Amino acid sequence: MRAPLVGMRSAPWILLSPFIGVFVVFFAYPIVQSAILSLQQTFGPAHTTFVGTANYQNAIADPLFRKAVRNTLLYTAGGVFIQLPLALLLAMLLNRPGLRGRGFLRAVFFAPVLVGVVFVGMIFGVMFEKRTGLINQSLHSIMGWDLDFPWLQNFVIPSLIIASLWQYVGINMVYFLSALQNVRQELLEAATIDGAGSWDRFLHIVVPQIRSVATFVILLSIVGSFQVFELPYVLLNGTAGPDNRGLTVVMYLYQMGFDQGDLGYASAIGWLLAVILIGFALIQRRLASDSSRRARA
Amino acid sequence: MAYFQRTSASTHHQRRSASSVSSGVSIGVAAIAILAAVSSIVVASFPVRPPTGVQMWTFARLHKQLYDPLIANWPAQSRPQITLMSMPALERRMLQGFLAESPTADLIEAERRVAARAFVGPLESVGFVDLTDRLKSEGLLDTINAPSFGPWSSRGRIFGLPHDVHPVMLGYRADIVEAAGIDVTTIETWDDFVRVFAPLMKDVNTDGTRKRYLLNLWADKDDLLELLLLQAGGGFFGEDDRVCIATPINARVISTIVSWCHGPGRIAADAPDFTASGNQLKSDGYVLAAFMPDWMCNIWKNEIPSLAGKVKLMPLHAWERGGRRTSVWGGTMLGISRASTNQDELWKIAKQLYISPELARSLYSTADIVTPIRTFWSDPVFDQPDPYFANQSKGRDYLNLAPDVPARTSSPYNTLAKLRVQTAALSLAAYAESSRRYRPEELEERAMVLLKEAESQVQTQINRNVFLKQTQPEPLNSEGLGS
Repeated sequence: MRAPLVGMRSAPWILLSPFIGVFVVFFAYPIVQSAILSLQQTFGPAHTTFVGTANYQNAIADPLFRKAVRNTLLYTAGGVFIQLPLALLLAMLLNRPGLRGRGFLRAVFFAPVLVGVVFVGMIFGVMFEKRTGLINQSLHSIMGWDLDFPWLQNFVIPSLIIASLWQYVGINMVYFLSALQNVRQELLEAATIDGAGSWDRFLHIVVPQIRSVATFVILLSIVGSFQVFELPYVLLNGTAGPDNRGLTVVMYLYQMGFDQGDLGYASAIGWLLAVILIGFALIQRRLASDSSRRARA
Repeated sequence: MAYFQRTSASTHHQRRSASSVSSGVSIGVAAIAILAAVSSIVVASFPVRPPTGVQMWTFARLHKQLYDPLIANWPAQSRPQITLMSMPALERRMLQGFLAESPTADLIEAERRVAARAFVGPLESVGFVDLTDRLKSEGLLDTINAPSFGPWSSRGRIFGLPHDVHPVMLGYRADIVEAAGIDVTTIETWDDFVRVFAPLMKDVNTDGTRKRYLLNLWADKDDLLELLLLQAGGGFFGEDDRVCIATPINARVISTIVSWCHGPGRIAADAPDFTASGNQLKSDGYVLAAFMPDWMCNIWKNEIPSLAGKVKLMPLHAWERGGRRTSVWGGTMLGISRASTNQDELWKIAKQLYISPELARSLYSTADIVTPIRTFWSDPVFDQPDPYFANQSKGRDYLNLAPDVPARTSSPYNTLAKLRVQTAALSLAAYAESSRRYRPEELEERAMVLLKEAESQVQTQINRNVFLKQTQPEPLNSEGLGS
């Protein structure tokens, strides 16, 4: 009998080594390096100065960073409180039994997801133009809307929410639709027999059964919204818009890191963004576990 | 039954996996491995050939088109190989070269904002060669229009050869203005302009909105804000690049701009440059006058051909009688990379390219840009009538204004300052609308408060830069240069 080439003890490490190698090089090292960088000020590799927590202190006191956080929160709120209810509504409409052309409608609502964000930004940039843009022109002909209505000057975040609504409502609708199709029909039928109205059926039978998917979609939406960069970048021609009204956290990070060359400050912003997202994830996890505990009770 | 089917399928899958393992690797994995190996060998077999000869980067297609015929007959060893790349690509690669010492071009054409990125750190770390002594010893400081050095000078040293002057005039719809019997030569100040041109705004649409406005301007246009502030003698930075935003001149200018854009005295509207919609509005006569640096003439010719023969240029109107009649917008330089070994040879090539009468001529005849080399200003090409501008000799008009172009900063914080002043202007506009105060003198006090905030924010960012603090600026002489 031949002796094994490798011992039983080292075999798992050998099998894991490709993953560990990739993880260390592409994940662990950059994370540690960015944490170190966030405590430094640099001008290329040749000039590096340790500044302690000054980058973090400056970011927290920086009115532009606060503005970026506020804008991003508004955009996120638009995603969660407008886009997701609309996606759920569309999913419920498409889930109605006997609806004709369901596949076609599903494809129509889903199609914008297939369009690249850059194209969406360019298309909406033209549509939101003052005087000549499709939106102001259409509203003007329908209701005498001001042709000079400054969408991309004074209403940047609402414009971003509208553009992202068009693009992402379809994908969230698909998530909700799949959840709705798994709602147990016998419970709905039993509730109907017991005299429950449609609102009661939705609230007490549908919502509890789609809660896990809804929680997942909300978290996904929050994380995605906090990372928004391409859409405002293209929509506002690479700027943050007048008075930085379209400045988002990631855009500010990009501006500081790549336009200003202040990589230490940009790293600190990145870490603050990570802290915010971890906070949201913990809150969401807490709420989800509370509600499932209540449901079990 | 279902359980049985799942178990059966699982067993089948395990058997298939086992057979794959026992026979080595699957076909898919083998194919990927072979492809990876073959492609690696192919890539490795092509040796990396470092570029030979003098390398030059530019971001402007038009510049490359102008340079290529000029250098075609140069000796091979001094003929630069010009690579065209987008501005962001040039910026990234230039900074990588300067900061991380990765390969970079020998000669780099950089626009004002991009060049300023090189001036963030210590003076000895600026990636461009210091040209001050060469310019002085060869008498080029007198040959080249003095204000054109501003954006390429940091802490009293000059790091680039200027490509242009970019004086600004006011383009106006001569067909409409002359039909109304207005003689623009009688206008000297902005107040005169508003008074004389006001009758042209009387036409209204059926919904009561005005059919046209006098000026293409809005409070969110940071380039135009800077242009008007510089014209008035204001700006963002004073001597030694000290922040100087909260000044009475700046407060007066942004108050006036807000009064032009809002309220009963509104004369300005937004017809954005470089957009189809903005071009259409200009073509429709929605705005009668627009700020036009020399390079903008070429943009209009290409993008709004419908206005050929209908547009003329006049000097900007002064903020007070006898005041400056021009400003400046944009700018490009040619710098030599400090990492290059043959700097003397590169200096000769840079001069041969930039200080050439042929380039000056083709720069104007092709791109409408006037040269900063004063000795070429007598060239008759600048006196040629331009049919697009109703046969006006606009080259001569721009050159007459060139010596009076305001000096500019090279501060890497200029972009930040521009954004902060834009914010102040927009906040002032919101204040005007909410308080129903639209006259400049009613807004100036509030403008000063907002400008102080802007100044403080810019100063805070500058104070964070430990590298700038390490380098004290040299005392400047009358030319704005160090010893």
